[in-house]
Amino acid sequence: MIKKTIFFFAFALLLPLFSFSQATEGDKLLGVWEPSHGKARVKIEKIGNKYYGKVVWLKEPNDPDNGKPKVDKNNPDETQRSIPLKGLRILKDFTFVGSGEWNSGTIYDPENGSTYKCIIKMKDDNTLDIRGYIGVEALGRTDVWKRLVIKN
Amino acid sequence: MKHLALAFVILFGFELRAQTDTIPPPVEEEDFSMYDNLDFADSGTKRFATSKVLDLSPQKLISVGIDFQGPYQLQTDTLSFGGNRLGFPQESTFGGSGGLRLGANIPVVSKNSIIVQMGFSYWENNYYNSKPNELSNPLNQALTDYGLRTVGLNSTVFKPLNESQFIIFQGSGDMNGDFTWSSIPSLAETRISLAGIYGWKPNDRKMIGFGLSRTFRVGEVNYIPVMLLNWTHPNRKWGVEALAPARVHVRRTFSSRSLLLLGYELEGNSYSLFNNVNPDLNFDLRRSELRFRAIYERSIRNFIWLSWQVGYRVNYAFDVDELPQGNDFFRGFFGDQPYAMMNDLGNSFYTMFSINLVSP
Repeated sequence: MIKKTIFFFAFALLLPLFSFSQATEGDKLLGVWEPSHGKARVKIEKIGNKYYGKVVWLKEPNDPDNGKPKVDKNNPDETQRSIPLKGLRILKDFTFVGSGEWNSGTIYDPENGSTYKCIIKMKDDNTLDIRGYIGVEALGRTDVWKRLVIKN
Repeated sequence: MKHLALAFVILFGFELRAQTDTIPPPVEEEDFSMYDNLDFADSGTKRFATSKVLDLSPQKLISVGIDFQGPYQLQTDTLSFGGNRLGFPQESTFGGSGGLRLGANIPVVSKNSIIVQMGFSYWENNYYNSKPNELSNPLNQALTDYGLRTVGLNSTVFKPLNESQFIIFQGSGDMNGDFTWSSIPSLAETRISLAGIYGWKPNDRKMIGFGLSRTFRVGEVNYIPVMLLNWTHPNRKWGVEALAPARVHVRRTFSSRSLLLLGYELEGNSYSLFNNVNPDLNFDLRRSELRFRAIYERSIRNFIWLSWQVGYRVNYAFDVDELPQGNDFFRGFFGDQPYAMMNDLGNSFYTMFSINLVSP
């Protein structure tokens, strides 16, 4: 009985440590990243145990048609079309699964209003492969994002 | 002790549930100016031009289509080779022609510094002759009995040099002819087309380039300069998609999910003939046609797009060459080598419908 109790406590104490290790490695995703087109910067944050990315910078912040800040005008949901692009969450619901990979998320392309399934793989501490795909991973496109830091 | 253990389980379980059920709060007001002065964490990182231009018609990953041309006349000559003449001149009426068009184009390497795509295509053109029992000309007979087919592999490489300049390489190998699946020609009869383009992309709405192609679009092998232009007007309603002289289209964008293209495409290839008659005879049909057309494309569900085109098909070439010992030769626009058979193909209206899975 005592052995069982010791084992249970050991397990209960070690599990959070393992969980903390997972969280620390998963949190390498946090930060500001630039997609290959260089037209935007995306800040990845953690909310609960999932990861989300929002647009925080635009190379052309204003709509050339009206001079006003760009909005999500291609969103298929008409009620969302007046939401500013700055601050818009385009990466949603990513879960860290280990080995530098986050999956089960989606990526939204404001240029055409489409949402794709997405998988994120960290190539090194400052490089992400972001693969948006349709149905199966083979039918997709990978974009390479680079980490940004404050200028010295 | 049991109660203490139970308390641990309850607390730990609660913590897990609390994380799982977290709902992202609404986007709060934030000072975004702090993100203006950032730089790459890796000092050597370069930015590269991307292959995308705003509002370009969607790239098709998988395409399944049907092509149909309306009625037309075909005036064929006798087949002349080595001092011999085969068959009789004949004017035939075809009730139409057409068939399946399948295509796949999958990115296999997708990095900022290089994109490589591999593709597959299968096209068939079946000829519907109103009087198949009265044919006296070998070309009419072969077309009516077997039709024409193309099976091809292709690859496109997009290599950005820096933020604005890029190089594109395209290559394809096609097996064309009146073959059936039981009489596929040898690999030696593969027709290789190549293109190389150097270009630049001054902004996200414009991509322009110039290059050289080895092409069979005029029916026989030729070397033609090419110009690439993908351009979108600042109002994002109009644009141009051109790889001249192969195809040129003006685009009208209605929304991110529907568009109309107006323009033309030059289609053509060199088809091995009479494989089913005598494989020792080496004749190629030099087929080329201009398709003036309107194409309407629309997303019906997420990444599934329909494409419907209607237009007028104008014949450019439908002549037959004898290939000495099976070896193709270059005639170009100014060569004077005689054709083995010169024919006159009438023009016709046509339509094509396809359903496509498009790229992200």
